[in-house]
Amino acid sequence: MAGNFPTLHTSAIAQYPATRNVRCPNQVLWFVDGTQQRYRNSNGPLHRWSIQLDQLEESEMAALEQFFNDNEGCAGSFAFTDPWNGTVYPNCSFAVDELELDTLAELKGRTSFAIEENRG
Amino acid sequence: MLVYPQLLTGALAQYPIIKRHRTRTISNVFDDGSSIKLSDTTGETTEWELRYAGLTDDEARALEQFFAAAEGNLSPFTFLDPTANLFSWSDHLDRADWEKGPMLLLAGGQADPAGGTNAWHLYNSGGAPQRISQTLPAPGNYVYCLSAYAKSATAGAGVTLVRGPNTANYTIGPGWRRITFSGGANASADYVEFGIEVPAGVALDIYGAQVEPQSGASGYKPSGRGGVYPETSFRDDTLAITAIDVNRHSATVNLIHAKHL
Repeated sequence: MAGNFPTLHTSAIAQYPATRNVRCPNQVLWFVDGTQQRYRNSNGPLHRWSIQLDQLEESEMAALEQFFNDNEGCAGSFAFTDPWNGTVYPNCSFAVDELELDTLAELKGRTSFAIEENRG
Repeated sequence: MLVYPQLLTGALAQYPIIKRHRTRTISNVFDDGSSIKLSDTTGETTEWELRYAGLTDDEARALEQFFAAAEGNLSPFTFLDPTANLFSWSDHLDRADWEKGPMLLLAGGQADPAGGTNAWHLYNSGGAPQRISQTLPAPGNYVYCLSAYAKSATAGAGVTLVRGPNTANYTIGPGWRRITFSGGANASADYVEFGIEVPAGVALDIYGAQVEPQSGASGYKPSGRGGVYPETSFRDDTLAITAIDVNRHSATVNLIHAKHL
């Protein structure tokens, strides 16, 4: 575990627009007569959050970059607070191994990334 | 030492600056959705996309000559990240990255001007000035800006900033003050020492020590590994410079640093 996800200076975790996905891994088998059989392929839903951040200060960008480095990309796991309802998901990771940081001007940084919940 | 050139203004890049940090993770995902992940720590790469506009003839020529000297993406060079704090572990003055004078006492966890507790209390218990510094593998002929927030319970207390062979004295009081010291170092040196010197018997608080490869200080960026990237290369083996007017050129440069190289 590499600590908690860093919040912005406003204490916010995300900005608008933000997208939240819930995935329920199921399996559907179709038979030649048109019938089907469905069953759960996991023991519960998995969450994923797409986060776009704009107008970031240098220190906020540095904190996010350091957190990404501490986690070694998507290898590490951390606790993430769902910005919609405040639920803490204790086992989450970055979804991809890349973090792009755009510095557009002073006090005007921008980045985006996705966080996904891990199973187990 | 081959070093990526600064512009005539002392800046290393212009806005926007795009930085991409990539890691490599090996994942085994199982049917129930669980996974085992392993980080390939040597697989990290960092890329910068530097977009230049309004370069003078001299700046464009310097960039072109540097590209030729590096033979495109063949030869590596030292690159100082313009978006980073060159100090490593700037909020952790007790780490081995910092060289400390033997009579300098440190205490962390002090209240800082950003509302956190990342400031450090420094007390020089000796009879001579004591410094805390880092010696960076950075070119001496660059323009640097060293900055830090400082305060002391004693009004009129002194503190000195160190940039290579150059020093500057400042007077601080009970309120936080950001002190900055910019300029060149020792033109022929391949290493530059940056630090803070505390006079004998003085106690003060320090926060946000930062070195940047430019003439002015930007917002404080707490650092981890630091912003000096030796063994950086051009990503591509071509460099296009477009003349858009008299004495005005534009170019986009892509650089890459791979940890395993």
